[in-house]
Amino acid sequence: MNFVLLIETALREIAAHKFRSALSMLGIVLGVSSLIATMALTAGIEQGTRAFMQQIGGLEYVQVVNKEVSGAQADFWNLSPGRTLMDAEIIRAAVPMISHVSPEMYHGVSAATAQHNERYRVTGAWPDHYDVARHELAAGRFIADLDVARASRVVVIGDLVRQELFPGRSVESVLGEKLTLNGSPFTVVGVLKKYERENEKRREEIVAARRKNEPIAGRSRPSRWDPFRQKNESVIIPLSTMFYEFKAAQFPMDAMESVRIDNLTLRVADLDFFRETLSQVRSALAVTHRGVEDYDLETREEWFDRMEASISATRLSGGLIAAISLIVGGIGITNIMLASITERIREIGIRMAVGARRSDIFRQILLESTSISVIGGLLGIAAAWGLIGVLVRIAPSENAPVIELSSLVLSVAFAAFAGVVSGLYPALKASRLEPISALRYE
Amino acid sequence: MSVARLEDVAKTYRVGDQDIHALRGVSLEIDDGEFVAIVGPSGSGKSTLMHLLGCLDTPSSGRMEICGQDLSRASRDRLARTRNRDIGFVFQSFNLLPRLDVVANIELPLLYSGLRAADRRRRAEEVARSVGLGERLRNRPTQLSGGQCQRVAVARALVNNPRIVFGDEPTGNLDSTTGRLVLDMFRDLHKSGKTIVLVTHDRDVAAVAPRVIEIRDGKISRETRS
Repeated sequence: MNFVLLIETALREIAAHKFRSALSMLGIVLGVSSLIATMALTAGIEQGTRAFMQQIGGLEYVQVVNKEVSGAQADFWNLSPGRTLMDAEIIRAAVPMISHVSPEMYHGVSAATAQHNERYRVTGAWPDHYDVARHELAAGRFIADLDVARASRVVVIGDLVRQELFPGRSVESVLGEKLTLNGSPFTVVGVLKKYERENEKRREEIVAARRKNEPIAGRSRPSRWDPFRQKNESVIIPLSTMFYEFKAAQFPMDAMESVRIDNLTLRVADLDFFRETLSQVRSALAVTHRGVEDYDLETREEWFDRMEASISATRLSGGLIAAISLIVGGIGITNIMLASITERIREIGIRMAVGARRSDIFRQILLESTSISVIGGLLGIAAAWGLIGVLVRIAPSENAPVIELSSLVLSVAFAAFAGVVSGLYPALKASRLEPISALRYE
Repeated sequence: MSVARLEDVAKTYRVGDQDIHALRGVSLEIDDGEFVAIVGPSGSGKSTLMHLLGCLDTPSSGRMEICGQDLSRASRDRLARTRNRDIGFVFQSFNLLPRLDVVANIELPLLYSGLRAADRRRRAEEVARSVGLGERLRNRPTQLSGGQCQRVAVARALVNNPRIVFGDEPTGNLDSTTGRLVLDMFRDLHKSGKTIVLVTHDRDVAAVAPRVIEIRDGKISRETRS
């Protein structure tokens, strides 16, 4: 019997017992829809997490942090000057595997235009800050080397700052505008891109589509640390400008190299040499800190590993639920198929008498169970849309579910596999019937 | 030329811990184009003999040759092939598939012989017309009378153009008039050159056959030719 004919026979048999077939499909429908829903939810979480990781600088991001010195070094801790601009200079000069070095100074200022006045934390930075913090420009330029060399009074602002200080003005139109930081005039040379999560984007699109000017929920300052929010509130000026304008009075009249900085972040050039790069950074810092280990390198490795682990745990538990439903569904099909062949022993006998080989009967039963499960799988895809809608409604997540084509293909393939496996035993049983006793069966 | 030859064939079934000797040393030769009736009381072994001749089973011992092939130790798939190509069955209880219409029922043996769909359909309809079912092609067996059902069964037996047609009590479920008609069909088949083997316990039915083989206690007890 050829394949087309087998499918035709199988579908006719399924159609002849609509209710029974529908019942036996139910398990597969549930299994497939929960598999797709889980995969869509985890894909959404994964996408959100990856965007988050990207915003905070990715795996390449390394931060030099202060550390309590150990007991053995407690007596001469003050030999070390702490984190100074010299650290940044030496890493830039001596560690080529660090592609970007960003020393930062922070200062709380009052920023003002003619009409508006807000408080922000200003960052004094080098041009490398752009790559280390993964900024993107909407218009204008970032801080340049020349700005640092000349200590120019230029400022790059985040999108939220633009909205608050220049409400209603477009991104391009604020370039060249003046604002004052603690009274000193600065020229806006760049505006950063608006950083936002996928679901925020979607929500805004929906609101825009409805043409309602409702305030978007969640505008109040969130209590937990939010890199998106933080980056939108950026006010960035050249590091040298920061020093001369706001910090010089706090320090003795030393060379700028001995100036303490508030943060030092680095970007590793090649992740394949991550460990080697870090040990070179440690060696360089040992020189500037005169051997006092009052610094440490903080990486995102462990943190990202934990995120990955929680994603795969979610995926595993969802997959497990789906696998259990598919197994239960498969058992249901086996059960129905066993009942069905018992009912059809005589038919099998007749088919054998007119020349059906054992493999013909085997394939017929197997294809019938597989057809049931594949139809169930296709219905499951439809059910998955509904299921995802319900899940989003009862448990709204920051990350919108993402249905990937591969998850649809994979789940129907699993359903087909469940159908084949569940049909094996009934098919074997049917094909082993003796023609004579099958013909006589009442 | 013989289409079926049995040499000292025995068939033993094991039921529980008891051996049942259904056939004990039967030798028999059926020539091409013969019309043979096998008669005997129930339990005599006549059904077992038909199952062997019809390639539904293999003997426990002895030699069995069907259509020139030694099938004494043939595999089930080998037997299935011979059943498909060279043998047609007409059963007492028709054994039609209730969910299929007349044409699909007649087509059934062709599904397993690798014919193309259009050829299958054409051949099935042709045979259906030849047994007088031209008006009933799309009916289900449940919508047919007993005689019509048996004609569907005959058409199914003929669709593969077999060399031997077996009738297993083909008139058993029919009234005497329609039984006559079915027997006439077998007689016509014989005239057209088919080898016919009728299995029955009814001596009147057996009387239509020129050669009658009587089976008793698993052996041939008498053979008459008219």
